This record gives sequence, C-alpha cells and structure tokens, in this order.
Amino acid sequence: MLGRKKKMIPKKYVVVMIIILIILILIIFSFMLKGDRKLNPVESFLKDGLVYTEKVVTYPFNYISNKISEYKKLKSVNKDNAVLETSIDRVSSIESENIELRRQLDKLKEELNIDYTLVDYEYLNATVVSRNVGFWYNTITIDKGSYNGVEKDMVVINSKGLIGRIIRTSAFTSDIRLITTSDTNNKISVHISNGDNNLYGLINNYNYSDNLLEVEGISNTKDVTIGDYVYTSGLGGIFPSGILIGTVSEISTDSYDLAKIIKVVPSADFTDINYVSVLKRKSVEE
Amino acid sequence: MIITIIYLIFSFILECFMSNMFSSTFSDISYFTTIYTIIALVIIYPYFYNYKKYYILVLIFGILFDMIYTSTFLLNMIIFLIIAIVIKILNNILSENIIMINLISIVSIILYHILSFVILSLINYGNYDIILLINIITHSLIMTIIYTSVSYFVIKLIFNMFNIKQIK
Repeated sequence: MLGRKKKMIPKKYVVVMIIILIILILIIFSFMLKGDRKLNPVESFLKDGLVYTEKVVTYPFNYISNKISEYKKLKSVNKDNAVLETSIDRVSSIESENIELRRQLDKLKEELNIDYTLVDYEYLNATVVSRNVGFWYNTITIDKGSYNGVEKDMVVINSKGLIGRIIRTSAFTSDIRLITTSDTNNKISVHISNGDNNLYGLINNYNYSDNLLEVEGISNTKDVTIGDYVYTSGLGGIFPSGILIGTVSEISTDSYDLAKIIKVVPSADFTDINYVSVLKRKSVEE
Repeated sequence: MIITIIYLIFSFILECFMSNMFSSTFSDISYFTTIYTIIALVIIYPYFYNYKKYYILVLIFGILFDMIYTSTFLLNMIIFLIIAIVIKILNNILSENIIMINLISIVSIILYHILSFVILSLINYGNYDIILLINIITHSLIMTIIYTSVSYFVIKLIFNMFNIKQIK
C-alpha cells in the first residue's frame, strides 16, 4: 500500500510515440533501399557462403538435368552438323568482312569522338544463383562478384538482349536490378531504329500485367512502326549504345491524351534467365 | 532446439533453391512459390515452451533474410516479428491440427506480402498496385499448403521419434 504508484504515460503520448517510431523506421528503410548501399563485410560473407552452400546442394540436381539435356541434344546432333557444315564455308569471308567493319568503326569513332561502343566491352559470363526471393525486389543474384572485377552499375545482358544493371556486389556474388522494375531510378535512354530514322526516348515505366516496357518522350511517333527494334542509346552514361531491349508492339497516348507512349516487348525472357554476361569495359592496354 | 534450427536453415536455403526451380517475375508469377522461412516459423511454434527462444530465432532469421536475400536493413526482421506475434495469437485461438496450421501459414504469407507491399509503396521503392499484390498472394497459396502439410507431418514424426514434447 505504501509503495509508490507507477507513473502511467498518457495514451495520447503513446500514440504519438508509435507514429514517430513508424515514421523513423520508414525513413531508415527509404535510405537503405534507395541508396543501393554497399554490403558490409558480414553481409558479404554470409551471401557468398549461402551461394556456395546452394551450389553444393544443387550440384546433383544440376548434374542430372545437364545429362538429360545433353542426351536430348545428342539426338539432334546429326541434323545440326549438316547445317553447320554448310555454314562453315562462309566463316573465312565473314572474318575478312569483320576486319574491314572493325577498321571502319574505329575510323568513325575517331571522327565522331565516341568513347565506347559495345565492342569496347569484354563479356564476363555468370550463372544466376537466385532470383527474386521475397518477390517485391525484382532482383537476381549471379555467382560473380568484386573478386571477378564486377562493379556497381555494370550492364548485364543475355543472348537475347538487355537484362539490367549491377546494384550491389559482394566478393563472389552480385545483385542485378532487372529493367522490368518500374522505379524512378531505373530510367533508360533508348533509340528506336526505323531505317534511316533514329528516334530517342526514355523507358519510363514497366507494365507488368502486359509485360511491356513504356517509352516516353518521342514526339514524332509517325516514324515509328510496330516491330521496330529498340536499342539503348548510350546517353546517360550507364548503358552503352546498341544493346537490344525489345521491339515496338503498340503506340498509344497517356491517360490525359497528351503524350505518346510506345510500348515495347522485351526481347529477353525474364522467367528463363540462367546465364548472363556482365559487360566490363576493356582496359586501355587491351 | 537443434531440430528446429536445422529445419529453419533447410527452409531458408530452400528459398534460394526453389527460386531457381520456379522463377517468378512480376509479369509471370509461378504458382509454386512461397516464403518457406515463414512457413517454418509457423510449423515450429507449437513446439516451443520458451517463447523467448522462439522470438530470438525469428529475429535471427529475419536479419539473415534481410542480409542475404533482399539486401535490406531491418525490414524483413520487423515483418517477421509482426508475423511471429500474429502466429502466437492465432495459435492461442485455433486448435493445433493440419487444417488450422495451414490456415495460419496462409494468413502469415498474406501478411508478409501485405506488409511488404505497404512499406515498399510508402517509401516509393517501386510502382506496385493492388492487382500485383493479389496476384502474388493467390500464386503463393498452392506451395504454401503443400510445404505446410509436408512439413507438419515430417516435423511431427521427427519430434515423436526423438520423444520430444516441447522445447524448454
């Protein structure tokens, strides 16, 4: 009875404190997610460790599936061989044509003062080890990291076209943000090639219900036709020019009927990415 | 305790492994995807007498999920903690059988996606809409039920085999 009464915090202060706490947490999240921060050594170590554990666990499954696909390929090897034999005769002429084109390209680059084109990059092949765990982040992880020379903002492609860019690296892994991410930091400058016409625009959004990228900023859409190829323009500094993004599938106007929107089907199949190439700029000596 | 930790680690690695088997993008979500670690947290809850240990595990795996899979900071840890509290409340209300455990798993997965959706939309991480949220939730249901049901029987069998009633 003689004990002191506990001082109770009024309810309204508790509510205010909770609101402040939520706001603070959201601010922290906002900084942590927006900044594409560097991984600390613990995160880097754990991430690398998990990738190697996963590699060990999946090795038997991968081995069996590889053997099955090898067997399937073996069945059609005779057919493929006949096709290859006919095309092998053309190799030497293509090679000489290639040398001539390379010479012309170097000359044009010198005249136009262009620093980098796709041929100035070397390709670092990597395997995808995990994809989009947690669903909401739209990233994939590859098995090459800073140890292999991968750096933030390097461009990632596969055989069909542009995939995304590196946002984080650990020693032996890297996270890639896919181009199918509709966040405000993910705008890509593109050019649409239609014969002699080169139109420049910006990928501004990704419509995931239709799997279409939306290009804005092109005023003269009369010159754009369905099926035109869309490439990176090289403007903006991150993506080199000439990487295929997709083909034009639709031309429409925005909801206010003011600006034209060009819808593009991505050339890469984002549900079936197993191997990718990271584009690394060739060093000067090379 | 060791069994639950091994099961949690197994489920945690399964996230990475299954994401490769059934890959998902926003435009094409696989019907065989779920958050395996959350299901593991649902399955192991009834075996804990000492809830402090349970919450410590929740925090550890939340941080690991943040560090390894999403490269976020505290986000998944907080979501996992909220889900753990909901799991506790639902376990107090509902009886322990396979149907109710499946129900708790589904509620937990729905809660994970709703919380992720709300937080990521609030901080303007991406342009998500409610249709995407519904799509992700509906596509997660099949695998949630499969993994919960299989885990329920396997974990029960293992605990019976070692004659363990509860973790103190």
